[in-house]
Amino acid sequence: MMIHHPKTALEAVELRKSIENSAYLAGGTDDLRLGSAAEGKELIDINGLDESYDSITEKDGKIYIGARCTLQQVVESDLVPAFIREAAKFCVSFVKRNSATIGGNVGLRRQDSYMAAALTAADAVLDTVTPHGEIEKEIGKYLQSDCKCFIRAIVVDKNRTGWVKRFGNTSSSHATLIAAQSGDKYALSVSGSDFAYGTSADLADTMTFVDDINGSAEYKKYLAKIVFTLGR
Amino acid sequence: MELKCKINGVEVALCAEPTARLRDVLYKEGYRSVRDSDDAEGFAGSDTIIFNGQLKYSNLILFYQAEGADIKTAESLMNGREINYVQKAMIAAGIVQSAYNAPAAALILTWLLEKKPNPSKEEIKDVLTSIFIRDAGYEHYYLAVKLACELRDFGEFKSEIAPSFRPNLEVVGKPCGKIDGVALVSGEPVFVEDKVPENAWCLHVLRSPFASAYIKSIDTSEAEKLPGVAAILTAYNTPDTHYMQAGQGNPEPSPHDRRLFNMKVRHVGDRVAGIIARTPEIADKAASLIKVEYEPQDAVYTVEEAMAEGAPLVHNGEVIYNAGAPADLAEFNAKAGDEREGKVVYQFPLGADIHKNIAASNKGGIGDMDKGFAEADAIVESTYQTSQIQHTPLEPHVCYAHIENGRLVLNCATQVPYHVRRIVSWVCNIPENKIHVIKERVGGGYGSKQDILVEDLTGYAAWVTGKPVYYRNTRAEEFYANSTRHPMRVKVKMGGKKDGTITAIFMEVCANTGPFGNHCLTVPMNSCSKTLPLFAVDNMAYDLKVFYTNTPPAGAYQGYGTPKGTYGIMMAMAELADKLGIDYRTMVEKNHVSEGYMLEILKGLGEGREGNVVPVGSCGLDEAISKGCDMIEWGKKEVSDDPDWKIGKGFAMIMQGSGLPGLDHAEAIAKLETDGTVILNSGGADLGTGLDTISAKAVKEILKLPMEKITVVSGDTDSCVFDTGAYASSGTFFSGNASIEACKNLKAEILKEAALQMDEKVEDLDVRAPGEVYSKATGNAISYGDLSHAAIAGDGRGQMVAHGNYVTTASSVPYGAHFAQVAVNVKTGEIKVQKFYALQDAGTPINPEIALCQMYGASMKSIGHTLYEDMKLDENGKCINANLTDYGTPMIGEAPEDFKAVLIDVDDAYGPFGAKSISEIACNGAAPAIGIAIHDACGVWMRSWPMTPEKLLHELGKI
Repeated sequence: MMIHHPKTALEAVELRKSIENSAYLAGGTDDLRLGSAAEGKELIDINGLDESYDSITEKDGKIYIGARCTLQQVVESDLVPAFIREAAKFCVSFVKRNSATIGGNVGLRRQDSYMAAALTAADAVLDTVTPHGEIEKEIGKYLQSDCKCFIRAIVVDKNRTGWVKRFGNTSSSHATLIAAQSGDKYALSVSGSDFAYGTSADLADTMTFVDDINGSAEYKKYLAKIVFTLGR
Repeated sequence: MELKCKINGVEVALCAEPTARLRDVLYKEGYRSVRDSDDAEGFAGSDTIIFNGQLKYSNLILFYQAEGADIKTAESLMNGREINYVQKAMIAAGIVQSAYNAPAAALILTWLLEKKPNPSKEEIKDVLTSIFIRDAGYEHYYLAVKLACELRDFGEFKSEIAPSFRPNLEVVGKPCGKIDGVALVSGEPVFVEDKVPENAWCLHVLRSPFASAYIKSIDTSEAEKLPGVAAILTAYNTPDTHYMQAGQGNPEPSPHDRRLFNMKVRHVGDRVAGIIARTPEIADKAASLIKVEYEPQDAVYTVEEAMAEGAPLVHNGEVIYNAGAPADLAEFNAKAGDEREGKVVYQFPLGADIHKNIAASNKGGIGDMDKGFAEADAIVESTYQTSQIQHTPLEPHVCYAHIENGRLVLNCATQVPYHVRRIVSWVCNIPENKIHVIKERVGGGYGSKQDILVEDLTGYAAWVTGKPVYYRNTRAEEFYANSTRHPMRVKVKMGGKKDGTITAIFMEVCANTGPFGNHCLTVPMNSCSKTLPLFAVDNMAYDLKVFYTNTPPAGAYQGYGTPKGTYGIMMAMAELADKLGIDYRTMVEKNHVSEGYMLEILKGLGEGREGNVVPVGSCGLDEAISKGCDMIEWGKKEVSDDPDWKIGKGFAMIMQGSGLPGLDHAEAIAKLETDGTVILNSGGADLGTGLDTISAKAVKEILKLPMEKITVVSGDTDSCVFDTGAYASSGTFFSGNASIEACKNLKAEILKEAALQMDEKVEDLDVRAPGEVYSKATGNAISYGDLSHAAIAGDGRGQMVAHGNYVTTASSVPYGAHFAQVAVNVKTGEIKVQKFYALQDAGTPINPEIALCQMYGASMKSIGHTLYEDMKLDENGKCINANLTDYGTPMIGEAPEDFKAVLIDVDDAYGPFGAKSISEIACNGAAPAIGIAIHDACGVWMRSWPMTPEKLLHELGKI
């Protein structure tokens, strides 16, 4: 296992771009776990970078969640909107939440991501570093791209309200479907299938559903169709 | 690389590869509390440490990341040899059982109490999300925290830990803790892995990628050239000895249908080659250099496929009977296929027909079924399907074998040390006196360690190479190369009258045993023999068949076939009650057996031989049903505020056995040591259940010695005497009774010797605390120490030693009733278990706090099987969810919101101090209780487990 230790965010992103078979290493709960997609990849350890990536701050009505903040920090923060904190608890293991980072969870782009639906519905913006400079990206677009940028922080409106709902076999298994709504924004992450968002609750009509160990395509499609009709 | 960090308050310098996992480094450095249950899956929590003040999984930290870190392991909780207040509370609460990750749990709870001295239930639950507990459930963890707070604040426990029974006894029926509790909770080196020296060689198994294939050739030449490879074992260089891996009494009711390595692989994950190498890395490399040419065959995965006309045959070799061969055997064998099929050897007939993929079968019954169904006002006939389930013990299957003084020594995590010795003796072709099996502490078994799944090959590898050999299953291998619960199809036909009287019951059981026939008769027999005897019905019959398939192997699993039979028969009764329009409780109460009812149905339900017909003995069924109905408010309809959520209630009556009367056998030796203390050598195999504590309590009650003067040594085939092992709920009943016999006999020896030394009559003498003989006639007394000292003097008559053995035809059956209240979302299919009440008649619960935890643990397993757990195979027979996360292992998040275990007080005539078995029966109730509750909630009969939301939505017609 090859580990790189960049000194700056720019160095990290340049490594990520130059090494095709590489991944960022933050909390390690996904990169280092059994069966990780990062197995065999060169890891770019970002734990030595700027400490500001570890904190949650407020400025001008916006909440800046450092990408290296653990999911437990998110759960415990009074600054973070409640439904986003609830999403962080979808990583049900307390000990795992002590290591897993919000940036890592977003960066993985897993279709059973704990955070993707909630943050997308919240219109979160990613504060990123790219070889071309510092860029703000809409999280939805980021999640649907293969962008290798370095995420410094996730930015959400302080007063954002919404809800998030998870379906899964057990509390600890990978989610079958996670849905979130905030304002007029809807988002859906569906295991092994698709990630979609928009301003209509009829997202299911635009999505592809695939059978996997978490459920049949038929089941997932059914959930996707009814989830936004559930009373909250 | 070398780095400096602080471990448990001490600055240390460590040296390892930068990318080594911190857990591995810590363990090698001697921090034995930091264990691994999930191969770095980040699930089970056995590897939890405190890293820079925060709880972390050490498997998910690389060594280099520990530079300058402040690390605490569970060893930090100790003050010298004294455990901390949380550890003491955990033992008191009864949650330190198999305890593989008990030190990690203690660390987590201690951390919590340091942060939040008086945590809420939600806060306790939150940290316990980090740790997988399979044996004891989670309920008493809340109690442990409460007790820890009391011990910290008041210097003593104030809360009731568990109810007490039998006021005439000192420790039996009282919560006193477990005699190995301190060793387990502190992380002492008590497991097999802790006994493996640095110089051990590793055994790696190359496994089949095919579900069915002949091996055309294996070329190991390149692999053998690799430096560090000691040997490579294959079908070509290992004995042509057919045996089976089921740990059962000899002769076994299982076919000998496998060799160490077969010329035909029969499931994905089947053994192809065993590599004995210096390191795992060399073994992996060697495996990659082995060239295997396969000849793939068609495979079958379900009983329906296996029974189909013209189905591919899983076994098609020569059949041999060691007794009871059928007259047409030669004709049968004339149809045998390729010689690479191997043989199938029966010890006696099991009703098998390998040309139809039938591994075993049986049928029988009582009364007149036609008459019974003719008398019925309504008949239901339904089929219930169960899935393939894995035991998931926190300690995977593991064995260390080495040669010592010309003998083969095996350190095992086993439920059956003497069966291990016998089977390894067969495989290695060496006599039993040349084999020494040492049962270490067992980090969870649940039936899977009743089978000799790794000891056969590990023992053989050490014997032929002379190397010390260590083998450990990966977590994935636990799923696809181990043993599992037999998937079953249970069809029940039941007829009843309008008044609720059941007139006839017929059960057809089709079980899937996978490629080998371990327990293939016993498991499905239990589907009927532990369910039909619950019913006082004159007409009952059963027809069971067990099919070979090419799925991962099945074997023993806590409950054997009973959970599946109970699921079918109780659901059918509820369906019948519904059809007849009467209350289910009324039907249960009208038809269940009670004390004295003669169980004629048992006659045909032996293990391949005639069963014992006995009357129902002590029976707490009525009380369990009545009390449970009161607790759950049976008959009261609960209504949710949310119209999508519907609430329903259900229950099931349950039974099991207490060992196998007429088959099981247990022995023990009690010795009075030279200072008057006692060492009891029990053949029993304590797998964390408190069996050794039961033996110690027997010594205490009979010989009146303080507990600290009693030591129990168990499961060591050199120092102990024979015991069939800890399975079929036999531990307490058989091994416990053997310990009692040994103690009674030792007491007789003590009194005889004392009479001589004291010049008194034996009948005037008795024993009393704290370990002395006194005379009721003269008032004289002599301590055990003085007595023993004189007995072993130069002119003494020798050490006082007594042997006890226990066999019986008596049957002490535990009964119970499990209740569930569920909430079902009819829009999303979600199912929540709101309440679960387990009420059981366990006779005298000798260790009541441990008993309660076992009821919680087994009920949780049963809830897991009912709702979540399912091994999924792809179209090629490969298990695609061979990890704890995807498999659906229930954690604290799945525990019922209101969960209670209740012991029904019944004193049994045959059990040790009136005890019956406790744990296994608790696996039987959840599926029917939850299934019936779901029907009560939303009108749907769930006839397949796991009862998933997706299946429920199908039944509701939503998808």
